[in-house]
Amino acid sequence: MKLFSQALCLSVAAFAFNAQAANPSQIEAQARKLWHDNIETGYQHLNEQTREFAQRAERWCAGHTAEGRKEVEQAWQEAFLAWQAVRFVDFGPVEANNRAWQFQFWPDSKNLIARKARYLLSADQAPAPSTIEDAGVAAQGFPMAEYLLFDEKFNNSDRALPAERSCRVLSLLAGHISSNTDKLLNDWQAFEEPYLSNDQYRDASVRAGMNALEILEERRLAQPMGLRGTGKRSVYTADAWRSSKSLATVQASLEGLKQYFLPSLLQLLRNSDQPELADRIEAQFEEVLENFPALDTPMAPLLANDHEFARLQGLWVDVSQLTTLVNDQAAVAIGVVRGFNSSDGD
Amino acid sequence: MTNLFRPAPLALAIAATVTVAGCAQSPSSAQNTPPATKATVVQHYADLAHANYEDALITARALDEATDRLIANPSEANMKAAKEAWLAARVPYQQTEVFRFGNAIVDDWEGQLNAWPLDEGLIDYVKADEYQHELGNAGATANIIASDSVTVGGETLDVSSLSPELLANLNEVGGSEANVATGYHAVEFLLWGQDLHGFDAGAGERPITDYASGADCTNGNCERRGEYLDAVTDLLVTDLEWMVAQWAPGNDGNYRAQLTAAEADQGIQKMLFGMGSLSLGELAGERMKVALEANSYEDEHDCFSDNTHNSHYYNGQGIQNVYTGTYRRVDGSLVTGPSLSDLVEQANPELDARLNSQLDNSMAALGVMKARAESSQNPMAFDEMIGPGNAEGEQIITNSILALVEQTGSIEQAARELGISALSPDDAGHAF
Repeated sequence: MKLFSQALCLSVAAFAFNAQAANPSQIEAQARKLWHDNIETGYQHLNEQTREFAQRAERWCAGHTAEGRKEVEQAWQEAFLAWQAVRFVDFGPVEANNRAWQFQFWPDSKNLIARKARYLLSADQAPAPSTIEDAGVAAQGFPMAEYLLFDEKFNNSDRALPAERSCRVLSLLAGHISSNTDKLLNDWQAFEEPYLSNDQYRDASVRAGMNALEILEERRLAQPMGLRGTGKRSVYTADAWRSSKSLATVQASLEGLKQYFLPSLLQLLRNSDQPELADRIEAQFEEVLENFPALDTPMAPLLANDHEFARLQGLWVDVSQLTTLVNDQAAVAIGVVRGFNSSDGD
Repeated sequence: MTNLFRPAPLALAIAATVTVAGCAQSPSSAQNTPPATKATVVQHYADLAHANYEDALITARALDEATDRLIANPSEANMKAAKEAWLAARVPYQQTEVFRFGNAIVDDWEGQLNAWPLDEGLIDYVKADEYQHELGNAGATANIIASDSVTVGGETLDVSSLSPELLANLNEVGGSEANVATGYHAVEFLLWGQDLHGFDAGAGERPITDYASGADCTNGNCERRGEYLDAVTDLLVTDLEWMVAQWAPGNDGNYRAQLTAAEADQGIQKMLFGMGSLSLGELAGERMKVALEANSYEDEHDCFSDNTHNSHYYNGQGIQNVYTGTYRRVDGSLVTGPSLSDLVEQANPELDARLNSQLDNSMAALGVMKARAESSQNPMAFDEMIGPGNAEGEQIITNSILALVEQTGSIEQAARELGISALSPDDAGHAF
């Protein structure tokens, strides 16, 4: 779409410009190659899991008795967590057609998901692929599927799955998500050359990890915990509250960063003038992840009870320390400056 | 608020930006004045803010008087005059928003004046099936106007007597940012009412009889509604008086004194941070892209009056004002002085020319939005532009977003050129 075609045109121009400049150093080239391969692995996994989700939803809705709701829910969860693992990538093909928003429109303070669901389920015509395609980003991704599968009020209504129209919408939606990951994977593979030839993508990749950590710390943890803004604890500002998977998504994002983002960052740091930072960041990732699987639990009860809340605080402190190490110290060590980003503003 | 916007990485955009020949002129680089320094630029920035807040105050007083007349004599003519006064008051206020990011004193204060989106059911009656409020907001249907007391989050508050102080205390009651009891959008709701037209043409249609007395009163509690409108407009005036005083010259104890006494680099950083944050994250992201891509009129800024195009346009104007050191006052006079543009021109004339031309492009793109919304034939308001399948509206908004994204890249570059290395916000709004 417009935003991406613009970005693409600009990157191509940048590539032409940079071709005349000196070759990026061997180390940086290796780090970028590793990033590209790792992110491709993450996208492949997302692609497989969403295909599985789409097939299961389709079979369940077609009445094949071997498939039950539980299997579909499980497939949704695995696909959604696969997305969490690569959610940090905020440049390149995921920008095309607002794909990132299509996968996950979040946060949704005004409950737009519920409003769009009512629209999808009540329109006059039978649902078709275009019903999803034309419905806007809030109706095109994992949160809408989560609504159909887990929303308590909806599940107690006469439209609850596997009611025919609801099931048809779920199948189409899962198919839409799956087809988006096909495109994402293909485009990422085709993106290899521009990505490797343009050394601006080193900074873009580091910033992607920095932004993801900042969002994780401030928006996905501090906000629902009532540590910012008005100070009110509210699970509704967290990810995936309908399925009680808020903290599972946090874990998946951290593991994704460790698996797909960290290795290249460590390479760059080990070749910087502060190589010791690499070990500290690696150790801090371990420390953060030690909060799991104990914290792989619904967030709402932790917010409701001060004793339990302390567990959440422990995680938040560990994540904050990691964010400081990466966003302040590591970024400085390898010379990446924070620019304006989407978190600016209120 | 929300955080969804992901534009192309700016570094890439910067690397590839084709040089634009210097066609825009910096209006403030006069011939016979001493060259601008960082210190004089920060001084003039404070002058600009002062003039801008004074205009916001002048127009808010006019609004206060117009609503007083409406309350005393609820006629169609007085309603029309009050709405016009509200629209006029938005013009200077939206330009001040560029001072918000970076100056914590403004950011901490502004929630009482311009918070949005709001759960208007806190204030007055709403049509329930057209009303989508914030999840988990216990105050979303409190209806202060119809109540002697409201209970939010286990706390019961006496609201039998509506005063400016009480409304200030009710703002964000129950810890929800959507509980907006005060400010421009509360006044807007009390004048226009809920917009029940969705993506179709038409704004809120509150009947004038909502302020009538006796048997003519519609929707109940007309006298209370008038009291609310009276108190909330009074509060707006006193809030703006306070902010004008913060920027006034000749006062050792105010914010201006503090800002101009600090290292000039700090002031320059605040100026650039304000421009970039409003440009990208807030205006292009929160206020336009979210509403557009999610087809969400709940995310429309001036949703009751359908004045959103002007709110966006004057936000953009504020960004340009700060860069060029120029502000057109509501009485038509022009404030000019040493500017960021002058500083960047000294350091990198090509960048200055490019950024000036990008700011012009943004204003042109936002100008198209404004013109289309105000067109005498077949106007298209912002909530129509974001409707599903409206290709023309989508294009208009997308052009504005792209222009703002582009100028933000140059703002970052200007910051580097002026030796400002960190463009991170201070910790305003965080309570750790």
